[in-house]
Amino acid sequence: MKTPGDILFARHQAAAPKLDAIRREIVQELNNQETKEQSRPHNFVAWFLCCSNKLWLELVWPCRRIWTGLAAVWILIFVFNFSQRDPAELMARKSPPPSPEMILTFSEQQRLLAELTRLNETQAVEPPKRFMPQPRSEGRIEALTA
Amino acid sequence: MKMPAVAESEQLPVQQAREGKPEAWDILFRRYQLPLYVYVFELVRNEQTSLDIVQEVFIAAARHIGGLRESDKFGSWLFGIAHQKVIQLWRKRDGKEVLFDEVPESPDAFEDGPDDLLIRREQEAEFMNLLNQLPLPQRSVLLLHFVEDFPLEEIARITETQLGTVKSRIHYAKKLMRKLLEEKE
Repeated sequence: MKTPGDILFARHQAAAPKLDAIRREIVQELNNQETKEQSRPHNFVAWFLCCSNKLWLELVWPCRRIWTGLAAVWILIFVFNFSQRDPAELMARKSPPPSPEMILTFSEQQRLLAELTRLNETQAVEPPKRFMPQPRSEGRIEALTA
Repeated sequence: MKMPAVAESEQLPVQQAREGKPEAWDILFRRYQLPLYVYVFELVRNEQTSLDIVQEVFIAAARHIGGLRESDKFGSWLFGIAHQKVIQLWRKRDGKEVLFDEVPESPDAFEDGPDDLLIRREQEAEFMNLLNQLPLPQRSVLLLHFVEDFPLEEIARITETQLGTVKSRIHYAKKLMRKLLEEKE
């Protein structure tokens, strides 16, 4: 008793030498190509294309669904981030430029503020009163006599 | 005589072939040359055409190995190329679509293993005769089943048909063959 597979292979075994010849011919051709590629001076562009092709095929292409998903997530994050931007900043961008009166008032206020700060600084710089140490007992006597 | 159909990824140097190593291609071609030839010959019934197709399949495989996504599916990928070549030939010959008469689906009816159909020596010629009488779609899936013992999902991928269709084609083809063989006894 034989399986159908056994019968089929036995029936076509005679074709094996011809198939061997075909195989040898193609492998020889591949060998020649490899030899040619090895002897050819390395071209940077070809090397770069080869590497990017390999990267594409091994990293991106097999997991293209994951990459697409990641890209979609990034787009969503970007859109969300854009929609959540500070409205004050946007308003400031949208508002018209300030009028000359406003600028004048603003500079007046700045001047006043500068003056006040300068005044504070001069007060702060005034030297502290000198402290003259006295003996403790003398201090006590003065207090008692008072 | 039957070719090993399991643990391909452990044994076959597909990765080296991807790197363009001719010795790796030699091993791969040696492994698949006869199963491919058997599959193609039993569909086209011409020796020279079958040899030409096998050669074209090998050349296409060496050129487009980058398109193979899973290395452990090298066998079914190669048979897929062969199947496409055969379909192209049928289209050229007949000038029309070939895949064709559908049999009703019965996915639950498929219970047979690959080697459940055993043939006695005196029935071999009859078996071949019956195989050649089968409609092409049934013959195609049955050959993939007999020659490489591919899982049904891979046969569906190779022939670009639904899994249910593959199951019913194999089921009906084997049933028919068994019936005819029993009648001849």
